[in-house]
Amino acid sequence: VKVEGRGRFFNRRDRLRLSFALLLELGRRGGVSFSAAIFVLAVAHGAMAAAPKRVLLLHSFGPDLEEEDTFAGYLRTDLADKSPVPLDLYELSLDAARLSEAKQDSAFVDYIRALLAGRSPDLVITMADPAAGFAQRHRQDLFASTPIIFGLIEEPRARELILTTNDTVVSDSYDVPAVMENIFRILPATTTVAVVIGNTPIEKSWLKGFIRDIQPFERRAKFTYFNEMSFEDMLKKAAQLPPLSAIMYAGVSVDARGIPHEQNEVLGRLHAAAHVPIFGLYDYQLGRGILGGPLNSFRELSQKTTDAAANILQGASPSDIKTPPLRPGAPEYDWRELRRWGIADANLPPNSMVKFREPTPWEKYRWQILVAAAVLLGQAAAIGWLLLERRRRRAAELESQRRVLEVIHLNRTAAAGALSASIAHELNQPLGAIQSNADAAELLLAASPLDMDQLRDALADIQFATERAAEIILNICKLLRQRSEVEADEFDLNDAIADAARILDPEARERGVTLETAGVKEPLPVRADRVQLEQVILNLAVNGMDAMSGVAPDRRKLTIQTGLVGKDNVEVSVADCGVGVPREKLEEVFGMVYSTKQLGTGLGLSISRTIVEMHGGKIWAENREGGGALFRFTLPLAHAP
Amino acid sequence: MSAVPVIHVVDDDPLFRRGVGRLLQAAGYQVALYDSGHQLMQCAGLSGLACILLDLQMAKLDGLELQQRLKCGGCTLPIVFLTGHGDIPASVKAIKAGAEDFLTKPVSRGILVDAVENALARRRRQLDERDRIDALRSLVAALTPRERQVFFLVVRGKMNKQIAFELGTSERTIKAHRHAIMVKLNVRSVAAAVSIAERLGMLA
Repeated sequence: VKVEGRGRFFNRRDRLRLSFALLLELGRRGGVSFSAAIFVLAVAHGAMAAAPKRVLLLHSFGPDLEEEDTFAGYLRTDLADKSPVPLDLYELSLDAARLSEAKQDSAFVDYIRALLAGRSPDLVITMADPAAGFAQRHRQDLFASTPIIFGLIEEPRARELILTTNDTVVSDSYDVPAVMENIFRILPATTTVAVVIGNTPIEKSWLKGFIRDIQPFERRAKFTYFNEMSFEDMLKKAAQLPPLSAIMYAGVSVDARGIPHEQNEVLGRLHAAAHVPIFGLYDYQLGRGILGGPLNSFRELSQKTTDAAANILQGASPSDIKTPPLRPGAPEYDWRELRRWGIADANLPPNSMVKFREPTPWEKYRWQILVAAAVLLGQAAAIGWLLLERRRRRAAELESQRRVLEVIHLNRTAAAGALSASIAHELNQPLGAIQSNADAAELLLAASPLDMDQLRDALADIQFATERAAEIILNICKLLRQRSEVEADEFDLNDAIADAARILDPEARERGVTLETAGVKEPLPVRADRVQLEQVILNLAVNGMDAMSGVAPDRRKLTIQTGLVGKDNVEVSVADCGVGVPREKLEEVFGMVYSTKQLGTGLGLSISRTIVEMHGGKIWAENREGGGALFRFTLPLAHAP
Repeated sequence: MSAVPVIHVVDDDPLFRRGVGRLLQAAGYQVALYDSGHQLMQCAGLSGLACILLDLQMAKLDGLELQQRLKCGGCTLPIVFLTGHGDIPASVKAIKAGAEDFLTKPVSRGILVDAVENALARRRRQLDERDRIDALRSLVAALTPRERQVFFLVVRGKMNKQIAFELGTSERTIKAHRHAIMVKLNVRSVAAAVSIAERLGMLA
């Protein structure tokens, strides 16, 4: 059978199984107790200039032995890749796992002979011990002039082979003590070691070697052997192993009940069942569930075998090819298993290699993480900065508001100061009345007969005057009280204007000014700081009175008027009959420090504007047609009247 | 002069006006209350033993202006000013214009009554002086026109001869007139006669 294409071994396993089944059936029917399988596989090199070399791979166990199966896989690939000449590859298995004796050799020899049909192969490569023995026994009758490579054979057994000049050996050497040392090195507290191995003759012979090698370690831990039981029992037992146990897995090809097992699954199932770490012997087991240690490298063994084959096919003498036995390489470990059993890298021997290290998210997504972190950091910084700015701005706003309130208060005290003379006069009226009435009462009491009516009137007047004095003082206190914040209340604007007029009245009288209030009679609810609004009215009114100081007394008239503007606003106007404001200064008067007076601070109108604007209103100045100035300001109504 | 002195109180603050009025009444004065200067001006009886108590600051007609108007109107009643606060320029102006006193509110009874009494005393002197002058004026009025001519020249220090020459008569006649004058004026010396003429403002 020739298959076109290089290195194509698809469906190899299925085809092998099919052949076994067929042969077994044939054997049973014909009373012949042998079973054999043979494959012809072609490895074509393009145009195929030279005739391909015929190479026979002689398996001992076929797919039943995991080690051999794996090795054969590597070897096929290596041969296909590295052969200097085109190859015609035959594979043949002695099925030694099932056929324990070599009695059927003759039938098998006949079979091979029939198969080769007189064309002896150019090279035979045996795999494992039984195949090596078979080849040695039939060297003369089957492969008289064919070079033989004895591959996949352990060192002590390799030395027992009798080699001709046409033979070479590529052997490997287990190091069970090293495997044990490794177990006790990285898991020093281990108390139990279970050795898992199958029950075929070759496995039995390996076990013997193991037990011998293990003997020195029996003081350190208890060793149990899972060989004489079914695989299911092995799994059960493995699951029941106490903590601080370890499993040494040496491969199970056929268990004690004679059931062969799908090799690729054995280690996986054992790994799934056991709750303790598993140690192995071969590098191909790493990654399938073993923890690791010093491992024999089948890849290297396959390469060495391939190298030997290549040399022979190019004409080298096999006996000249000396391949030293392959020893376990530097320890290798499975990172996932190390993690699972909590073994730190520091506990591993020096020069050991850790494989299957899963990249941490950091390693996998380093740039993404860095960018995301940078973005987050940037955002956090921006947010922090904004928060800080907001706090600062708030603090600055509060500070500025405090300053504004201070200046407003200063203006108010200044206004109160300007009004103080008339306020004193105003206060002296009730005080004088009290004094006079008290004096009169004293005299009335001394008289006889007592004039009770006069006395009663005097006392009533005293009470009346006291109330008036208290009221005046209260108004002044309201005006002078230092406040730390704007106090918004809802009140009737007319009341505030009446209050302001009461404060202004004595001043107006002293200056010979007629003070009038007029306008809307219905309530004008506004939401504002009442004292500050009164202050605005006082500022505007005092300005108006100042402006009229040069006007004839009978023309001195100041009018405070209210009016509605639309539905939502109220307007207050303060009109005087004074000199008016120069046209170009109608806006300037509200600026900082504008004063025409010798004693003024120049802040009155500026502060009035600040107060009005703080309450959501507007203030402006006009000149009246008949002479005099008109100051107006608006305020939003608290709700429609 | 047994009549009760009248105090005219002018103040536009009813409470204060009533209080002061009540006090003065209790102190034994007769009191007249006015709420403005205009009301006072309309009052006819501003004579006799009386004084005016005037608020300096009033809305329509303030105290100083009222003082001027009263003076112009020939009212000679002494004025005591009352003010809510001691305003120096205003007080100087008032005193210069002849105010009797200048008090600040609140005023105690003692000070108020003293000031009122002082004003009344001055008023009394004023009235006495006026009575005396009225008596002298009636004496002078009793002279004949010729005698008045002679009197006019005598008090200016003219000698009989000069007078006789000016009036175109004899020195003897002048001497007779002169004697009659001295008798009518009830004086013994020329100096006393000159004093009368001076007091009646005839020497100006």
